[in-house]
Amino acid sequence: MQITHTMKRATLVGALLAATSAWLVPAVSSAGAATGPTLVVYSAQGYDKAAVAAFNATHPGFSVTLNDNSTGPLLQQIQAEGHNPKWGVLWVDGATAFAALDRQGYLAKGIVPKANFNAVGKANIPADGSYVPTGLTATGALVYDSAQISAAQLPKTWAQLTAAKYKGMVGMNDPTQSGPTYPLIAGLMNYLGHYSKGSTAAAVKAGEAFLTKLKANGLVINATNGPTIGAIQSHTIKMAIIQSSAGYGQELTTLPSLRVAYLNPAIALPGVVGIDGLMPKTVRAEAQKFVNWLLSPAGQHAMQTGDPQGDSLFWPVLNGEKPANKVLPPLSSVPMMTINPYVWGPLENTVNTWFTNNINNG
Amino acid sequence: MTTVEVAEAPSRRLRVPWSGGVLWVILGLLIVAPVLSFLLLATSPRLFGQGRELFTLRYVSQALSGVTGQGVFNSLWVSLVVAVTSVTMATTLAWLIQRTNIYGRRLWPMLMWLLFLVPTWMMTLSWVDVLQPYGSASALGLSTRWLYGEFLGPFGIIVVLTIASLPFAYFVVSAGLLGLGSEYEDAARIHGAGRAGTLRTVLPMVAPALLSAFAISFAETMSDFGVPFTLAYHSHFPMATYTLFASISNYPANFSVAAVIALVLILTTIPPIVLQARVTRRRSYAIISGRAREVRRREFSRLARVVVSASVALVFVIGLGVPIAGAVLGSFMRNLGIFSSGPLHLSSVYYHQVFAPSIVGKGLSAPLLLSNQIALVAATATAALAFVFARRLMSRSAGWSQRLTDVLLVGSVAVPGVVLGVGYVFFYNLSFITNHVINLYKTLPLLVLALVATSLPGQTRFLAGPVSQIQPSLSEAARVHGAPRWRAWRTTTLPLISRVMLWGWLLTFAKTIAELPISQILYPPSQEPLSVTIQAYLGNFQLGTGTAMTVVGLVEIFGVIFVALGLYRVVTPRGWQRIGWSGVGA
Repeated sequence: MQITHTMKRATLVGALLAATSAWLVPAVSSAGAATGPTLVVYSAQGYDKAAVAAFNATHPGFSVTLNDNSTGPLLQQIQAEGHNPKWGVLWVDGATAFAALDRQGYLAKGIVPKANFNAVGKANIPADGSYVPTGLTATGALVYDSAQISAAQLPKTWAQLTAAKYKGMVGMNDPTQSGPTYPLIAGLMNYLGHYSKGSTAAAVKAGEAFLTKLKANGLVINATNGPTIGAIQSHTIKMAIIQSSAGYGQELTTLPSLRVAYLNPAIALPGVVGIDGLMPKTVRAEAQKFVNWLLSPAGQHAMQTGDPQGDSLFWPVLNGEKPANKVLPPLSSVPMMTINPYVWGPLENTVNTWFTNNINNG
Repeated sequence: MTTVEVAEAPSRRLRVPWSGGVLWVILGLLIVAPVLSFLLLATSPRLFGQGRELFTLRYVSQALSGVTGQGVFNSLWVSLVVAVTSVTMATTLAWLIQRTNIYGRRLWPMLMWLLFLVPTWMMTLSWVDVLQPYGSASALGLSTRWLYGEFLGPFGIIVVLTIASLPFAYFVVSAGLLGLGSEYEDAARIHGAGRAGTLRTVLPMVAPALLSAFAISFAETMSDFGVPFTLAYHSHFPMATYTLFASISNYPANFSVAAVIALVLILTTIPPIVLQARVTRRRSYAIISGRAREVRRREFSRLARVVVSASVALVFVIGLGVPIAGAVLGSFMRNLGIFSSGPLHLSSVYYHQVFAPSIVGKGLSAPLLLSNQIALVAATATAALAFVFARRLMSRSAGWSQRLTDVLLVGSVAVPGVVLGVGYVFFYNLSFITNHVINLYKTLPLLVLALVATSLPGQTRFLAGPVSQIQPSLSEAARVHGAPRWRAWRTTTLPLISRVMLWGWLLTFAKTIAELPISQILYPPSQEPLSVTIQAYLGNFQLGTGTAMTVVGLVEIFGVIFVALGLYRVVTPRGWQRIGWSGVGA
């Protein structure tokens, strides 16, 4: 009896081990499958999975894989990988990181496809062609709850945001956690300091003074768009200066009374793609195909349908392409300003540290 | 006889360095080399191309001043308070559950395990869901604004971190108490000791367990990222792991400042470990033997029994009941956190989106399967390695090598996941390694290695208590009666540790599935684990879908636990299920 019981148990254990091993085979085999050159896209775009899947479906023979993450972790990885990179294409919102990568010699130059760019698209193409805009949103859009405050009651200029009547009503994101927020701050510094060229010191001071006043007026800071919009939803604040697509997305889903207005100027935030210049030629050639495809009608369609309540709510940078949803106003009606990423990119760490010490924890 | 002794001695001398060497290589590749690669940047950013200086101290002063310095200070005092509080609470709970007649003595340890499995970020976010204006509590007609204000501050931070540290401290202390038969208390009382005197006699016997619990609670709190990233951040109360994260989340990242903060986190764990090591090695604490006796329980009066049981229940309501109920309710609420004078608006739309998402290609099925496969491998490897390291740590004839291992393992508990993850990039993506040794970067095996590395230190400390209490005489007796080494281990040690190994395995399994920072950095392209997918929704202002995904993930984890416990009952001999410590069924 004892022997039979032991044998049964041994059989059961054997069967379990066999089943477990069979279950693990896919994971183990997929780990070993990555041989030869592959194109890895590092992306923070909500529609990136849809775009990569559509590209792979129409381009057999060279599979594109995706590292889908927030902008911060992606740039961390690129910096840590240094001169032994694994990324082939970087695709995130905002051009400041691309300008820094270009200065360090990481980006392939002259990658801009022959596409029919509109004026805003052209304004966001660098002279050396080291990165390409694929779409456009605005950072510093004034997202407000029309159930709490009417359009007529909104401030009309950036300076009016610091007025006593808006005390405790305004929110924004933390630039150390929210990718689009540093370009907003840089844009404000550029605008308020009347920067055109040369030293940025005066512009930085003007921006810091404005943010300090805003803080004294009860500015509410949250990490990212989600909690900032949450603060509007719970009536903790009435409006926030955040990315336009976040406002439109929530208007379409959880908070229909949400609206998006624009102070003059709003800061242009292009979705940007760049190619790793240190990759082998074959990989770079495939990367170029991918970039070209993104600016084709098929690529634009994948981008506009991949995340319909989020990142897909952008303005195309190509003539002839229309936004995915009518909730977006005509681009011509938005007073958009473009900052020079080569000037403002290198200041990101310094400005963000100042913000952390003086605005967020001051 | 003499011939035999002479023949055995040299072989033992040869065997020990060999096995020790292998363990050092494993430790080196898993933890030491990657973490060291990161820490070296504190003074030598040029080594990994992160700056021009070959040696500088400027990042030290930068890291210890301003908000980052404040973060280090806050983490230190909060961790100290949390460690003391959680060990005190754990000791009280262990005594109540094991040595008194309170109600639910089989239930509480089970709940303690569940508490162990809940990540701190989830506990925090769920509490916020409950307490926030127009949150779950408000929807049920409860006004919680005052409590929300208190929760967002040091008070809430200490409460959550204490509850998060409680399970580990409880299991370590309860393992110590279990081996302590009532005869020791009786002996003290017979010799005239009062209650305080008995306590003074008995507590030192579980000193290794108390100190181990203190050291790990302190280190775990120092390295926790969930609370600093959520609760502490919103309270404008900077803590070290958050300032570390913030210093490398800009571009260009300041890895050197982050390295200094990481170094401080690791160094602060050394004093408690050294203290514990000194106490443990001064004398033997092995109290489990073939003659362990039944414990006698203190009988409370009916009223006292109800009051004490309710107090214990309150701990689990705070730590487990409210967060789980909050997450579940929140995942069904369409108007969670939205100003409304209307009724609760319930909907299952977020659960529909879990597998049919609004973002193309971002469903939960494939990530859930992949995370289970990864967790299965990582948990099994961790359990095996942790047992070997625990035996080594608890050896009474420990030399400098074991002591160094001890310091390294507990120091590693204080290493935040993001440091380990970036350290893996630095080390395993070195040109020399990828071109001449092995090219593992951005593959699943490397992700699994890193996940084993992050679980191994805690798991080792977890097993150290039970392993230290098994008297060598048990296996020696088996050997004397002719059993070969493997059979002696299988018939004496394995039965005693099988249950704790099973629970340890489940713990690593659950923590691996919930782990975010390492997975985010090291996951192979197009093979997204569960935690990364959920984070994409939570960070992409799709809180409802993210919360529903979290709930589905938790249900799946609890399902695996249920199945694993059922299999254990079927597969193992009955005797194994009755002996040894597992924290459950005291």
